[in-house]
Amino acid sequence: MKPDVVIIGGGHNGLVAAALLARGGLKPLVLERRDVVGGAAVTEEFHPGFKASTVAHLLGPLRRSVVEELDLKNRGLGFVEAEPRVFAPRPDGGGVALWGDAGKTAFELRKLSPEDADRYPEFHRSLSAIAAYLARLLVLTPPDIDEPLKGPILSWLGLGMGFRGLGREDAQRLLRWGPMAVADFASEWFSTDVMRAIVCGRGIHGLFGGPWSAGTTANLLLQAATGDGNGAGSAVQLVGGLGSLAGALSAAARQHGAEIRTGATVERIAVQDGRVTGVVLAGGEEIAARAVVSGADPKRTFLELLDPAVLDPDDVRRLRNYRQQGMASKVNLALDSLPPFRGDASPDLLRGRIHIGDDVDDLERAFDDAKYGGISRKPYLEATIPTLWDTTLAPAGQHVMSVYVQFTPYALREGSWETRRDEVGEATLRTLETYAPGISRRVLARQVITPLDLERTYGLTGGHPAHGEMALDQLFLARPLLGWGRYRGPLPGLYMCGAGTHPGGGVTGGPAANAAREILADLR
Amino acid sequence: MMAVPMSRSYDAIVIGGGHNGLTHAAYLARAGRKVLVLERRPVLGGAAVTEEVYPGYKYSVCSYVVSLLRPEIIRELDLPRHGLEILPLDGTFTPMPSGDYLWRMSDHARTRREIYRHSPLDAEAYDEYSKAMADMARFVKPILSMVPPDPLSFDVPGFSRLFAMGRRFQRLSRTAQHNILQLMTMSAVDLLDQWFETDVLKATMSASGIIGTFLGVRSPGTAYVLLHHYMGEIDGVFRSWGFSRGGTGAISMAIAGAAQEAGVEIRTQASIERIKVKDGHTVGVVLEGGDEIDAPVVSSSVDPHRTFLKMVEPGVLDGSFLSEVRRYKLRGSSGKVNLALDGLPEFTAMPGPGAHLRGAISISPSVEYMERAYDQAKYGEFSTHPYIDMVIPSLTDPSIAPPGKHILSCFVQYAPYKLREGTWDEKRDAFGDAVVNTIAQYAPNLKKLILHRQVLTPLDLEREWGLTEGNIFQGELSLEQLFFLRPVPGWARYRSPIRGLYLCGSATHPGGGIMGAPGRLSALELLKDWKRGKVA
Repeated sequence: MKPDVVIIGGGHNGLVAAALLARGGLKPLVLERRDVVGGAAVTEEFHPGFKASTVAHLLGPLRRSVVEELDLKNRGLGFVEAEPRVFAPRPDGGGVALWGDAGKTAFELRKLSPEDADRYPEFHRSLSAIAAYLARLLVLTPPDIDEPLKGPILSWLGLGMGFRGLGREDAQRLLRWGPMAVADFASEWFSTDVMRAIVCGRGIHGLFGGPWSAGTTANLLLQAATGDGNGAGSAVQLVGGLGSLAGALSAAARQHGAEIRTGATVERIAVQDGRVTGVVLAGGEEIAARAVVSGADPKRTFLELLDPAVLDPDDVRRLRNYRQQGMASKVNLALDSLPPFRGDASPDLLRGRIHIGDDVDDLERAFDDAKYGGISRKPYLEATIPTLWDTTLAPAGQHVMSVYVQFTPYALREGSWETRRDEVGEATLRTLETYAPGISRRVLARQVITPLDLERTYGLTGGHPAHGEMALDQLFLARPLLGWGRYRGPLPGLYMCGAGTHPGGGVTGGPAANAAREILADLR
Repeated sequence: MMAVPMSRSYDAIVIGGGHNGLTHAAYLARAGRKVLVLERRPVLGGAAVTEEVYPGYKYSVCSYVVSLLRPEIIRELDLPRHGLEILPLDGTFTPMPSGDYLWRMSDHARTRREIYRHSPLDAEAYDEYSKAMADMARFVKPILSMVPPDPLSFDVPGFSRLFAMGRRFQRLSRTAQHNILQLMTMSAVDLLDQWFETDVLKATMSASGIIGTFLGVRSPGTAYVLLHHYMGEIDGVFRSWGFSRGGTGAISMAIAGAAQEAGVEIRTQASIERIKVKDGHTVGVVLEGGDEIDAPVVSSSVDPHRTFLKMVEPGVLDGSFLSEVRRYKLRGSSGKVNLALDGLPEFTAMPGPGAHLRGAISISPSVEYMERAYDQAKYGEFSTHPYIDMVIPSLTDPSIAPPGKHILSCFVQYAPYKLREGTWDEKRDAFGDAVVNTIAQYAPNLKKLILHRQVLTPLDLEREWGLTEGNIFQGELSLEQLFFLRPVPGWARYRSPIRGLYLCGSATHPGGGIMGAPGRLSALELLKDWKRGKVA
């Protein structure tokens, strides 16, 4: 049966698009190169008996409308919002925990710093208000730059009113914060190094920039808007790892009539008379469709899968300059027991994100190394230990520690990722040792996923986890390129639904949900 | 000087006799207002000042080149008649450690040939880049003469101006739109990487993106400042920079001349103790020593920290406004070294005197050099190998030094106001040595030539010139402090919560540099308020 729509890539966005398009009455066919679907949201066994969310280890979280429309709660998904949401151990023992409940956080912060404790509730309130406002922007299709008044004018008016509704103080903050360096933002609120470092960690997460880079506050605000705007950030995980999501999304897609094929590598997007007509698989099989939707990143989609001759040379130049060089690795550890954090931090504190990075300078120095093409000697880490609440991932009593490691630049100045992979594992363990001395002896196995692996295995060109830098000039109606911000590229019949479109990276389903709405409007 | 008999009451008092304060006063007086300018120092000009620090040598002590002085000000105040003469400053010479050099001139064809020597591809790209930047500059330039709108109020004229800009933006080509978006948000190096491959070319061009900021060439937001180079306009020529005959102080003196001709009174060595406020209105100022001068309007050309935190009595302004003011960032990042020389420095890369010495000489040999200089500053140290932009104005304007002798004026970055260890008083000499040593690597005869050395640290700029934290622009030119956010959100239109108290210095839109635009725009706004009866 001929599909209406071919979707390139069975990552979570591709699957969300498939399910929503099928639900809207189209016949989508998902083509996934690997043998498993999920893209960077996968659960894989990395050591016998040990499973981890090998790449992404936290949900964005998922957009609520996606969860509801695809009925994901009834498809066996166990969402866990771990508490505390974040814990920052300190090298001298103890640490700071931030909880979903602002009152509780403020209460506990008092031991550390009465000043920060006093500031926290307002920080939480202001961030939540601004995040709630920005969240309305995330669900919109960016305006057409040539005809900005076309389209859902009421939503734009609503946004304008909403902006004023924020009140003068928060509205001014939003304007001022966007382009700011997160280090400045953090010091406007907090006086202790550790609180500043936690805030900065969120600002630089997934960006090729340190806390002193302008625009890092925008990154934090976007993350806050994706989640619930909590001052502590979010820490949503899934029982069974993020791979469970792919299972549930596939089930939803299939139930609505979508077809999913794994082991199917798209070699080329077919174009005839300036119009996309389908795809050609490796091996030569041709699949015709009314439309092709790419869940792959912009560089792959336009520079590799399309014949550049069909594109305007200016667009090709702009695409080449689209910044999509990865900065992070993943280290997955199989542990024979819990990591021994100094001061005997209670395992209860380790259920959410574990933030490693003592102060702003620490995080900035980690970036300094990467600026000159080196691996951070003391990287910024964000770890989770999902086995604390999910026993299906490791043998009884043993644990999995999943560690996001920043910075490890895709383009190394010296050597190659083939020869330098172990350095990431070593830098990670060396850093962890400061907080949990003896952790190395508890490691049964470690898996290191470098930016090059992200590119080769998971298809993320340049190893960029978010399909391109989430910088101010690559956001909203300029994501991926100015003029291509509405999920449509320059060729009729070709759509985009991946993290390289608004609202960008993270396991949220957001780009696909927006794209599906546009595609349905065009095709139905 | 300026011993004018003083009457006790004025329409307006201007705090600070820098070029913006003087411009502001001149515009008010030309509209028939009675204006008094009060300057703390014995000389006028603020940071645009010429001083004979060493006998026979007239240093442009702080600011040393002109580019953005608004043509409408030159015209309206008839500055040439008051002695303003701009002499051309041609080209930028960048010596490299390898013994090679890069020399860009305003003659486009020669620059193109020079770049071709480094990279044929870049020579090609340079044409396109120059054209693209000039287009951008033409698009962005009207902002410099625009009073920022207030996005949080129903400001119809403000929005219609913005809307008009939006329409102009729409009419640009997609490529031009894309370029503008990138310019507004990207780092200088990221932007230049898209055009060029020659490292030294990128380094020296990116340098203009960091001047006066606490940012590195790879920090987002620095690309925008590149554009300023293309907006520099003298006699209507794009991209030209210049010296003012007699040093930058001559600009201030020309403006002061115009102001006095229009009836402005100027008093030097008059330090303000306090701005008097009664029932939410300014009523005048109190000088150090207790003298009081009354006026219904006070315009402050000094920065908001000084104005609102030091000169206004505590309790007058509400807490949330004050905390916004406190958040306004003034971190100074640069210093100045002025040298009196016995002769001309000889650069290994191009020995002998020549036209290359008449332009700017830039120590910015590679992008990594620039970035490493910044790294040190981030952690509270001055750069041991700093970025230096220097000029020898005595070659173009022999009136400022004895015959055969010269002045080397060096702008040095980074010199963070807050040092992690020690104080600037302890480190001043070490900083001066670092600068001289750095230049001597490229011009080995320099050390022998030095007759006198003046080293200005950010602390000196603060103490002597009243530039809080030594920031040469009275506040960082970072995106969150520009346009309708400068100096603080909601108060970008030169007014303040105190009726009758106005801001007219570099801390207001469009910011620092010898531009005069803040002084002029604020005067026009104030005159409007007078006309509408909003101030007494």
